[in-house]
Amino acid sequence: MAALSSLEAPPWLGAEGLTRCRRALGGKLVRETWKYSPLPKVTDALIQTDVHQDPPVEALPPEAALHRFDELDAPPQFGIDLNRYPLAGIAAARAGTGWLIKVERTPSHPLRLAAPSLGVSAPVLLQVAPGCRVDIEQEAAEAASEGGLGAQVLVLSLGPDSEATCATAELASSVDRWSLLQVHLQRNAALTLNHQCTVGNFQRQDLNVALAGEGARLSSVGAALIQEGGRLDQQVVIEHASRGTVSRIKQHNLAAGRSRCTFNGRIHIHPGAAGADADLSNRNLALDSSAEVNTKPELEIYNDDVRCAHGATVGQLDAEVLFYLLSRGLGPQQAQRLLSLGFLRDGLAGPFAERAATAFAAHFMSA
Amino acid sequence: MSLLEVHDLHASVNGEPILRNLSLRVETGEIHAIMGPNGSGKSTLANVLAGRPGYEVTAGQVSFNGAGLTGLEPEARAQAGLFLAFQYPVEIPGLSNMEFLKAAWDSHRAAQGAQPESAVSFMKRARALAKSLELNPEFLKRGVNEGFSGGEKKRNEILQLLLLEPKLAVLDETDSGLDIDALQTVAAGINRFCSADTGVLLITHYQRLLNHIVPDRVHVLSEGRIVASGDRHLAEKLEAEGYAWLSD
Repeated sequence: MAALSSLEAPPWLGAEGLTRCRRALGGKLVRETWKYSPLPKVTDALIQTDVHQDPPVEALPPEAALHRFDELDAPPQFGIDLNRYPLAGIAAARAGTGWLIKVERTPSHPLRLAAPSLGVSAPVLLQVAPGCRVDIEQEAAEAASEGGLGAQVLVLSLGPDSEATCATAELASSVDRWSLLQVHLQRNAALTLNHQCTVGNFQRQDLNVALAGEGARLSSVGAALIQEGGRLDQQVVIEHASRGTVSRIKQHNLAAGRSRCTFNGRIHIHPGAAGADADLSNRNLALDSSAEVNTKPELEIYNDDVRCAHGATVGQLDAEVLFYLLSRGLGPQQAQRLLSLGFLRDGLAGPFAERAATAFAAHFMSA
Repeated sequence: MSLLEVHDLHASVNGEPILRNLSLRVETGEIHAIMGPNGSGKSTLANVLAGRPGYEVTAGQVSFNGAGLTGLEPEARAQAGLFLAFQYPVEIPGLSNMEFLKAAWDSHRAAQGAQPESAVSFMKRARALAKSLELNPEFLKRGVNEGFSGGEKKRNEILQLLLLEPKLAVLDETDSGLDIDALQTVAAGINRFCSADTGVLLITHYQRLLNHIVPDRVHVLSEGRIVASGDRHLAEKLEAEGYAWLSD
């Protein structure tokens, strides 16, 4: 059986990097962000589970090029803070290699990333050249069996004046999943994120966005249905590092009975980010009193010339709205179902929105 | 048998008595206007009839179409043919107007033992009605009342009234927040609903709606009871003189 101490670091991570990861696993920062999730269990699964070294794309447009890390003259820089995300280093060490996707010209078709349901995928660094536009899509495959862990690290690096959309869907999740999406946006780069998921087991989703260049913009809309007994832990960090950067986060999570939903969203406005404009909204609907919701929007602001708004709500179905539906002749169960679906649909956008709406509806029809 | 018969009704909201000894009878084919100063109990009456939770009947009887009403759940009242047009219609992002309306109509049909109307037929009807109410049919695709103006919300209430074909419409200040053109459109929708088989209970503060909808009876509510009743001229007198003369 493999052990954490026996892992070997690939050249681009370095032995020092791996050592930092091992140390960070026991550090205060990681303990705090993993407060609601079983870090030792996920770490163990990450070390034990199979590794995928297959190319990470289902469809590679001709305008993009794919390189395996160990075939490159110089290792690419991921720019991941290993003190905060040590599992990224562990996953990289397990995979032994990684993939670089370079988008040099605007592709005419979406770039579809593979998403194996189980195992550790080799980390992917996707670089978008200045001025290019790319649509990225990733839909997790349905697991052949229940149990096990799927792990993925994706780093997006958007050059100046580039634009990307990144739509992901995990709508048939019966395995545990951990993922890190790290994004670095240069001057006037723009990213639209759409993420929809159903959570049957455990999912930990880390999102770290650095709005590094002046005028960089992020818009993220997501919806998650945490099924009976499921566990979702979303950790979001948005760094406004330059002037005039803009972020919009909207996340709707619905927690069914005996499930647990955690959302921690941190907006960090750096001293040089004058004119930054941030808005983070996390709405949670608990279907009954056995569901547990933890939500913590955080603001850390080091510049006076900013506009920041954040809000988190946790509640059950609005009695006024429920009565409105009942007064039109709908029964309580059907009214609850329609309102729950409506709540989730309000967090849907992008190419998988319709499929997600169908999956959510199917869940409520079978519940 | 009356369409609606309210006899010695007492009702409380959050333990506070609001309606006291209220009696009222509405026959099919009739339009009754309920007027009265703020806090007189008009909206409470509407909500008690619709069965809103928190509105407790403490004494008296209400029968609707010959059957007791107060023991029924809100959805059963609606399915039996009672419709409440809300004073403040709620917004429901994510639930499209069309989906909501179709689901409501299917519930009504199911309660009557009928098969659901085909989606195509229903959508055609809904669009035509929306147009007749000068409500952009595109609004049917949007979330229920989501981003609607005050007037659009009220027109959407009337659209529901016409689509769901109830027997009794209880309209709670449907004229509030409407400009002159919207008022005429909404009034035309209400008049379209009125027939020999239906009844209307029209709650309003102002005579202006009654310029377009002629009531058979006008009642004045004060401190939870009806203190005066008359024909349409009573509303004109209230408009001219206010409510003070009633307590003289």
